[in-house]
Amino acid sequence: MTMLADRPLPEITPLTEPFWAAARERRLVMQRCDDCKAYRFPPEVGCYACSSMNSAWEPVSGRATLYTWTAAYPPLLPYFAERAPWPIAVVQLDEGPRLTTNIVDVPYEEYVFGMALQADFQQLDDEVALVVFRRAD
Amino acid sequence: MSDGNALIRDKTAIAGIGTTEYVRDIGRTEQETSLEVIHEALADAGLAATDVDAIFKVETPGEASISELAVARNLGLPNLRAWGGTDYGGGAACGPIVHAVMAIATGMASVAVAFRARNRGSGTRPWSKTGARVGSNMAFESPYGLVGPVQQLALVARRYMHEFGVTSEQFAQVSVTQRAHAARNPRAFFRDPITVEDVLASRMIADPLHLLDCSLETDGACAIIITSAERARDLKQMPVFISGASQGMGPRHYMMNGLMYKDDPFDMPPAYAAKDVYACAGMGPGDIDVAQFYDVFSPMVLWQLEAYGFCKPGEAGPFVEEGRIDWPAGELPVNTHGGSLSEAYVHGFNHVLEGVRQLRGTSTCQVENAEVALVAAAAVVPTSALILRR
Ligand SMILES: [Zn+2]
Repeated sequence: MTMLADRPLPEITPLTEPFWAAARERRLVMQRCDDCKAYRFPPEVGCYACSSMNSAWEPVSGRATLYTWTAAYPPLLPYFAERAPWPIAVVQLDEGPRLTTNIVDVPYEEYVFGMALQADFQQLDDEVALVVFRRAD
Repeated sequence: MSDGNALIRDKTAIAGIGTTEYVRDIGRTEQETSLEVIHEALADAGLAATDVDAIFKVETPGEASISELAVARNLGLPNLRAWGGTDYGGGAACGPIVHAVMAIATGMASVAVAFRARNRGSGTRPWSKTGARVGSNMAFESPYGLVGPVQQLALVARRYMHEFGVTSEQFAQVSVTQRAHAARNPRAFFRDPITVEDVLASRMIADPLHLLDCSLETDGACAIIITSAERARDLKQMPVFISGASQGMGPRHYMMNGLMYKDDPFDMPPAYAAKDVYACAGMGPGDIDVAQFYDVFSPMVLWQLEAYGFCKPGEAGPFVEEGRIDWPAGELPVNTHGGSLSEAYVHGFNHVLEGVRQLRGTSTCQVENAEVALVAAAAVVPTSALILRR
């Protein structure tokens, strides 16, 4: 019997472990193709741009802009339903990749396309620190 | 236009259709309703169960599907020569038929069944079964609260509004138009007319999408019988020929939120399915008399109007607002049965049935002299399309 989620947490695999290990140390890293230098997110074995299977994890700036967003209303999983409306954002890193995330210090009504943001980290348990974003100074 | 794909174009036909009633709780299993609609479609075609030698079905990530073994046993088939599931849920509204066309056109099989049964009214929402640990790309989405299709679609819809100036009123107009179509359709689950104001006043589900921008949740099943054009001419119904059939995924795709990882989230699968379905049929958008577009959420209809070439990128909002998808006055009546927004949610199989009815002349919003119908599957997942003609 699968345990149902209250707040779902990521399954950490050998492929994604470097991302989550860095997040635990409050660092944001991105997988990057050794051959064509394309960043890729979410992590993958092969490169979408050149098919190469050689890649490395590189630190990125954590600077980003707000790309799109929504606020989720019930029916939702219990954790989010209790806190609804629950804002969800997609941000674009200065280096190019986009991430789904939460913005932790901006009221929903103040979300604006292109708003400057900076990565931060939210430690949920010993294993998982989520990458979240704050308004950039 | 080209002469099309000589191996596929008009070589096969839809000879029979079957459907259950569309209700909140049908009180029977998906296996039972599957068999019922297959029997009904065979009777509609004038064929016996023992004529069937191929079965094609829909697969949906995270959901069990009914096995071809069980269907074949319960129909009493002497042999099955071709079978298979086509993945990606609503993107497979036409996919099983595409595979049936390939099997029949190449002589691998002679009579194929494509079917979909879904108890989404009485059953649970797939996302509600989200586990405590989530894998794949969802590992980077679900912890942030991005769990269900409506939230994934809302993210794309908001960016679309920003880039192209499309409005919530224009999304709402899709629901209003389709409800007007459903009002004439006795099978439709919702038949009471609504206004743009009603849609905007309905409760928010995922900003900017309101309740009435979202698909129904119903129980129901549909089946379709495909055979060679030659054989179909001798059967009970007027054949509906399959002129074009295609699937399309495009580059670097994930499921619904995957659009947000692409350089251009509006580089959607239907643009690829469109190119191939038109090439296969040797036709273009100007040849289409009526279209049935997958519509689990209202913005998806706008994206298909653009991908299938009825208007330019970003112009579908005004296109809809000007009444151009309305029956009977619009130049391209869309979802003349009411669609997933008003008739029923059968993962788009009911849209194929409506395409067939339009060409048989039996729609409740019949397009006068309709000769060619386009049917297209979901826009934001790997998709499929058919061009049908009488
Ligand atoms: Zn590369």
